[in-house]
Parts: sequence; C-alpha cells; structure tokens
Amino acid sequence: MATQYTDPSVSRRKFEREIIEYKSLGEEYRTRGWLLVEAEFPKVLVVLAAAKLKPTPVVMGVAFDYTNYDAAPPSVKIVNPFTGEPYKFKELPNPLNRALPAQEIAIPGFPMQQKMMVQGEQPYMQAFGPEDVPILCLAGVREYHEHPAHSGDIWELHRKSGAGRLVRLLEVISRYGVEPIFSFGVQLVPQVGLKYGPPPQ
Amino acid sequence: MAKNKDGDVDLIIIVNGQPVPIDANANEPLRTVAQQALDKTGNSGQPLQNWEMRDSGGNILDLDRKVGDFHFPDGTKLFLNLKAGVGG
Repeated sequence: MATQYTDPSVSRRKFEREIIEYKSLGEEYRTRGWLLVEAEFPKVLVVLAAAKLKPTPVVMGVAFDYTNYDAAPPSVKIVNPFTGEPYKFKELPNPLNRALPAQEIAIPGFPMQQKMMVQGEQPYMQAFGPEDVPILCLAGVREYHEHPAHSGDIWELHRKSGAGRLVRLLEVISRYGVEPIFSFGVQLVPQVGLKYGPPPQ
Repeated sequence: MAKNKDGDVDLIIIVNGQPVPIDANANEPLRTVAQQALDKTGNSGQPLQNWEMRDSGGNILDLDRKVGDFHFPDGTKLFLNLKAGVGG
C-alpha cells in the first residue's frame, strides 16, 4: 500500500478528472469491452472483455492505484477480474506480447546469401519467475519507474505527455492483451480404445 | 462526409482520454489535426511522431493522408494516444 505524501486534494482532483473524462466516453469504451467496475480514489478497476467474440469472454482485470498522482505515476496490475487479486506471472491470460521488427539472419551451414526473416516477440509483462507478480514494463507505470533497471528513465520525463493517464494505459493493455484475440482456441484430444461386442457364452 | 459548404468536418479527437473538438479542413493532412489536438490539450511533452491516431474500430490512421480521404461524418471520434514504445 503506497503512502499518500502529496497533497491528497490535488491527487484526488486529478483522479476525478480521469474518471469524469472516462465516463464522458463510457459508452464508446463499453462497446470495446472495457467495463469500469470500481472508481473510488485512489483505486480504479477496469475489466477487459474480448468484445469481438460471441459469447464474449472476460479476459482480465486491470487495477490502478492513483496514490500521489501525478507527482508519481499510477500503479498498474493485471488482476483476476472477479477477486481483484493480482495475477502471478504463470496465471496471466497472456503476457501482452509485442511483435519486434523482423530481422534477417543467415542460416548456419548455408551460403551467406541464404537468409531467413525472423520476427521475435517481447512481452510487456515482466517477472523474474512464474510465481512473481509481474510488472507492466511501460513508461508511465509506477512499477516501471521504481524498477532499478529503469532509473535512467524517470517519471518526470513522461509526466507531461500524459503517459500515466487512465485511458492511455488501458489502450496499451487492450491493444496487446485483448485485441489480438480473434477466436476461441479449442483443443480436442481423441481417445482410442477397444470396443467389445457381447461376451461369449 | 465533409461539409460541402466549407470543406470542413467537425471531429472529436480524444487525446489520452481527453476529448477536444477540432474543425478540420478536408484538404489538410490528418497530421495537422493531430497537432492541433495536442496543442489544445497542452500535450507538449512528446513530439507528434510518438503518438498514433486510431478510429473507433481500432484501426491506425495514416497521418499523412488528407482528412477528406477518410470521409469522416461530422462528430466522428478519433483516438490519439501515446505510442507504447519499447518495453522490457
């Protein structure tokens, strides 16, 4: 639980602006599968559903904590939409993969002219191990800026561009975590056994 | 469709969730509309190339195309958001 060290009235007012602006376009967001289920300073919980599919599956919940906003960025966690518990890395519905630019690499054992294109993926959700609660590795997120690996990319460099705003963060999470879902994946495992007729007398 | 009388179309640009009305000329590139929206909302922290504009269907719009090419009806909402950038 973060401690509120900035003037709470300032953070509260900025938080309320986020919610008012969200609600002014709430219908638009709802059609995209964004459901605002809780908005009580400093917390917001938005449930994301894959609205393109029928029946529509709920994919994930996103919990925001706007304590100290915007002297500090919001905390963002991918959570179980029904319990609000942050997912461990192994429980994530998906790690918000981003496609990296395709790279040409030489094929070992073949002449140098023989090359193949390889396109990698990089997850926005990062953790040390499957049991850890992952962080959203994105500028504008508290966990990103507090991580020692990002000490050179401070919040103040992003604050004025609105990197921590509610809709901006939801856009990123929805784009990489929900919009790539285009159908249900069904795996059928056939089982082979022997069929017997009536037993002989 | 853009208004015939003056070639303008009234757009609502939603910058990181903040709506701002823009009276756009059909002959200007969408880039100009995006820059106006950033200026009106005081988003001066990042240059325009770090932003992307999408329609309500989630399709990324080419900022170099003219506004008139898209045949937006008046009141169309377009979403201008900061690009995610490189994570990790």
